[in-house]
Amino acid sequence: MKRLLLPALIVTALLSPLAWAHHSAAMFDFTTTVELAGKVKEFQYTNPHSWLLVDVTNEDGSVTTWGFEAEGPSTLMRAGIRKNDLPPGTAITIRGNPMKDGRSAAAWIDAVVDGETINPRNGFAVIPADD
Amino acid sequence: MHLRKLVFTTLVLAAPAALAQDYTGWLDKDDDWAASKARLQAFGEEFDSALSMYEFLFRQARGGDSLTWEQLQQPAYDWRGIYTRTGGGLSFDPDIRANETTAKLTPAGAAARQQKIDRIQETGGEYDPISDCRPPGFPRWATEPFLHEFIVTPDQTWLINEMVNDIRRVYTDGSAHTLPEDAYASANGDTIGFWQDGMLVTHTMYLLSGQYQRGTQPDYSDQVEVVERWKKVDGITLEADYWVFDPVNLAEPWYSRQSWTELDNDDNYLRLRYWDCRENQNNDILQKDDGTSQFMDFDFVDDDAAASSDNEVR
Repeated sequence: MKRLLLPALIVTALLSPLAWAHHSAAMFDFTTTVELAGKVKEFQYTNPHSWLLVDVTNEDGSVTTWGFEAEGPSTLMRAGIRKNDLPPGTAITIRGNPMKDGRSAAAWIDAVVDGETINPRNGFAVIPADD
Repeated sequence: MHLRKLVFTTLVLAAPAALAQDYTGWLDKDDDWAASKARLQAFGEEFDSALSMYEFLFRQARGGDSLTWEQLQQPAYDWRGIYTRTGGGLSFDPDIRANETTAKLTPAGAAARQQKIDRIQETGGEYDPISDCRPPGFPRWATEPFLHEFIVTPDQTWLINEMVNDIRRVYTDGSAHTLPEDAYASANGDTIGFWQDGMLVTHTMYLLSGQYQRGTQPDYSDQVEVVERWKKVDGITLEADYWVFDPVNLAEPWYSRQSWTELDNDDNYLRLRYWDCRENQNNDILQKDDGTSQFMDFDFVDDDAAASSDNEVR
């Protein structure tokens, strides 16, 4: 499989956020973006949606676990993001559109790990087989 | 059982040809696609029902071809591989944007669509029934993304979407539809079909009502029926003519050309995996009183009720 990392595919820009999720995206605020640095706590690689849990240390030293929603395993694989790419403890800077209700969750936009940007939404790019 | 097949075939082939109906065969999606699409739309409009169109195609094909396992190695029938919808996003007609429609709606169909538009404008969102992993239903099935597999055998063809482990079975063994006294509406209905020169022609009925997609796409009623013509147009592309008939919502049958592309999968990472909302409680969705959606109970938030400003979560 052709691995899709940076540069992000142009097609991604054509997609509405979570356009193809199995649920409406009414709970997210797409006018706002959060960017957080932390460590991966758990990668829940599940259908219909995967969740990347990231522990973020606050200014007062407390830790908040954030959940970033992405598509399921097959779409993540198409984006070149495999379960073992993000083991617990991995340092990550991640962006998402946050929940409107204030809970620590967001629609995952992209992330930087070891200087490399990964974009879960690239999984909707149609990379055809050789004819 | 065999008698039913014989009776169906005999009755359809023996029936007098429909009046003034001109056959329109497969038309390639080339530079003249707009004109070809108009011809295919007009072809559908020659018929007053999906079943009459299907029976016309069946007669035109003289009952269709019998497939053998050996023939399945031929390119026309070799549908192996992992596919996904080629394009179209959340639009049933992939030629247009998701907030548009090419359907010729009845007043009732137009009103239902306008109601969806108004509700979304008022609330800023919506609730999609598939949020709890129920099947999207057919014909919405055609618009769903994710991975697909298509399994052709001499007697059945399976049209599979990874999402909610969704399989449409097309019976090509000469079977008639389920008898009306035994039939009931279901998400994917009852589909029969036949092969004609490498093209799979189908008819689907006994469907549940639904929507072509969420957003501003129209609704369909439980009277919806669909004629499809599937064809492998090159080594990696499956296309299908869709004529949707719905006397409640459509003033005329709605024609569109659907398409699926085989994905690069040299390392065989891609495969259809089981899909169940109960795999992860973080995917539990609440339908709110205002008709929109909300997450219910995250496993990574200690006290969702205290953390959320949403009264319905609290």
